[in-house]
Amino acid sequence: MTGTLLLLRFALRRDRVKSAVWVVAIATLVAVSAGSVIDLYRTDESRRAYAALVDGNAALIVQSGPGYGLDDPSVGAILMNELSIWTIIGVSIMSIFAVTRHTRAEEESERADLVRSLPLGRQAPAAAAFAGALVADITVAAAVVAVLLAAGLDVMGSLAFGACLVGAGATFAAVASVMAHVTTTSRSVNGSSLAVLAAAFIIRAIGDVAGDTWLSALSWVSPIGAAQAIRAFADERWWTLSIPLASSSALLGASALLTTRRDIGRGLLRERPGRAEAAPQLDSPLALALRLQRPMIAGWSVGAAVLGLFYGIVADQIEQMLIDSPEIADFLAQAGGASIVDAYLATATLMLGLLTAAFVTAAMLRLHGEERAGRVDPILAAPVTRRAWALSHLRTAVAGAAVVSTSAGAATGLGASLALSEPERLSQSIPAALSLTPAAAVIGAIAFLLATALPRWALASWTAVAVAVVVGLLGDLLDLPSAVRALSPYHHLAAMPAEPFAVLPALVCLAVSVALVAIGLARLDRRDLSRST
Amino acid sequence: MGMGPDPIAISASRLEKSFGSTRALDGLDLEVRTGEVHGFLGPNGSGKSVTIRVLLGLLRADGGTARLLGGDPWTDAVELHRRLAYVPGDVNLWPNLSGGETIDLLARLRGGIDPARRSDLIERLDLDPTKKARTYSKGNRQKVALVAALASGAELLVLDEPTSGLDPLMEAVFQDCILEAKQQGRTVLLSSHILAEVERLCDRVTIIRNGRRVEQGTLAELRHMTRTSIDVVTARPVAGLDRLATVHGLSITGNHAEFDVDAVGLDDVLRLLIDHGVSSIVSRPPTLEELFLRHYTDERAP
Repeated sequence: MTGTLLLLRFALRRDRVKSAVWVVAIATLVAVSAGSVIDLYRTDESRRAYAALVDGNAALIVQSGPGYGLDDPSVGAILMNELSIWTIIGVSIMSIFAVTRHTRAEEESERADLVRSLPLGRQAPAAAAFAGALVADITVAAAVVAVLLAAGLDVMGSLAFGACLVGAGATFAAVASVMAHVTTTSRSVNGSSLAVLAAAFIIRAIGDVAGDTWLSALSWVSPIGAAQAIRAFADERWWTLSIPLASSSALLGASALLTTRRDIGRGLLRERPGRAEAAPQLDSPLALALRLQRPMIAGWSVGAAVLGLFYGIVADQIEQMLIDSPEIADFLAQAGGASIVDAYLATATLMLGLLTAAFVTAAMLRLHGEERAGRVDPILAAPVTRRAWALSHLRTAVAGAAVVSTSAGAATGLGASLALSEPERLSQSIPAALSLTPAAAVIGAIAFLLATALPRWALASWTAVAVAVVVGLLGDLLDLPSAVRALSPYHHLAAMPAEPFAVLPALVCLAVSVALVAIGLARLDRRDLSRST
Repeated sequence: MGMGPDPIAISASRLEKSFGSTRALDGLDLEVRTGEVHGFLGPNGSGKSVTIRVLLGLLRADGGTARLLGGDPWTDAVELHRRLAYVPGDVNLWPNLSGGETIDLLARLRGGIDPARRSDLIERLDLDPTKKARTYSKGNRQKVALVAALASGAELLVLDEPTSGLDPLMEAVFQDCILEAKQQGRTVLLSSHILAEVERLCDRVTIIRNGRRVEQGTLAELRHMTRTSIDVVTARPVAGLDRLATVHGLSITGNHAEFDVDAVGLDDVLRLLIDHGVSSIVSRPPTLEELFLRHYTDERAP
């Protein structure tokens, strides 16, 4: 462990901007949400109405949690029900990225060799990476607690929420520490850790929806469910903090053991030899882009399909609820006249559509990654135009987005048709999923534009994804003005299957995308190509 | 074209390129003749890679002109790149692709590969083409890029410190390959810090410093422009050497004198020495190291 503190200080120094962005983003989200919830639920009556709407509503439980404290709803409990899961997920993603950045990404770049040649303990880099993530978690939690206290919420509840954020962050930081030993690329470490996060989301959703059956134990298995179980603002259960403490300790122990069992730069999975000669089709920039993005497309498609299948299967719970509580049916009928199942499936489709936007952003940013790593130089030193190179990744990203959203739609439809015994759901859900791709195209085009025209700002493309996610998932809660909602391209598209497909907004989205791409290409032809070394 | 090859493969004059407040190229000139191996030398950060990236159309010069194979490196990039092959100094490969796949991909982008030459080079450079690029050492990554470049039929090879990761055995193989390329009539621009390599391969060299050319010519010409070290014992103590402007670093102890002399002053010095009765003399021509060190550091010959 010698040198851990030194490495930690170095890691914090390197991460100061990234961490600040996360802290500000999450604290702002919490601040705005708290303000809006306090405003909306001033009266006891309004709080009771909220609790009645949420009670036993599987579709809402899937997206938020079991609804701790809603039997006697306080503003804090409502805020937790609306927001805690997204904050926990945000902190978890931040922690995963932070650990990967300082473990496998370092080994990949060979900077690790330089560091390991210093008089440092074998465990020091991994320990420093985890500690760095923990510092970031604590900083976010402190900011969130400060924001909640400033909004006038209860001290104990605010502290409990902060504590459970640190617990969840630490758990997923430890998950990434383990994953960093398994595979040899930072991309796959992030991917497999995020897959664990997605699994945690689904496992707790099953447990939460299951109510009083034995399946409800699943909520405790999931780190997300375990974090929510602290019941912030609803009779806090501080002892639940022992769950993340135990699980992260166990994972870190496993990680420490694995550190001694492998060589630097290698993973636990054995590297298979490749082909001595390229397959005949590997002969163009497009073929290369496809080859490079293939694992990512496959991974996201599987993830979207699992999530979609799950959303689809839950659809029958919605129907069940309709029979149980007619007032919800009334409420939803007022909301637009669509059937409750259709409204639910439209929300699920939107969730998966946002996933497609995240995929397409990651795929477009391959352009940026290739340029920074200097891997574009040998391509452009061959008779390949800059346009051909950029469009090869664009085409691959578009094709990938189609595959991801089709598999999401097909899985949602499959789940729904099985659960509802309505086979026509399958043929309905694929067009519904694809109907949102014009919005993903706009977000992908923003990433393309930044990567081609303003490479220094390429990573800011994620802001577009964040805006779409906040507007799509929290727009109603935050009571966002329509001018803000209009920033998300998804806001303009029809919510199939609850609404009929609207041609014009889709065409506008596509036209905007084409324009952004054209600007990016024009600029790419005129600028210097940089590399980070 | 169609009138035989252009005698000049690369010409750059007064090239300028700035990154923010840093002047990377400050009026750089470079001329590479068709069919020659041209050494491109200079200390780290002197602008070699920037020049090469301008010549490849990856960077756009702020000022000056550059011609490459009769075309403009920026506007005619794609056409020109059919006829050249490039090996970067820092070879970064796609981690998931094997070495063999990378070689084939790069070659196919350029229009194909000679399979016999490919397997010959892989064997001579002792490269395992089935390994994934992420498991290659720096030297092996360079071998991948070298095989792709050398196995192509490109008439111009642009090599940016291509052997900095190779062992001496592979370095020798590389030198043989470059001499073969030269025999085939190809032109080579070779940026290098390995002086033995430059001495064996290069017909002419250009030395740059701070983004500007400080010297160009054949090695013989460069040698001529520098000093010879003389260690002499004479019958009588030599007088008058200190009056010659071409003599530097003079130290006299009794009948023993040591000094450096500019090539142009040799005649005068020898005449003076003979007048004092030479009993033994050792003259040492400048080593390549001295030649370069003189150009690499700020000190310039008067």
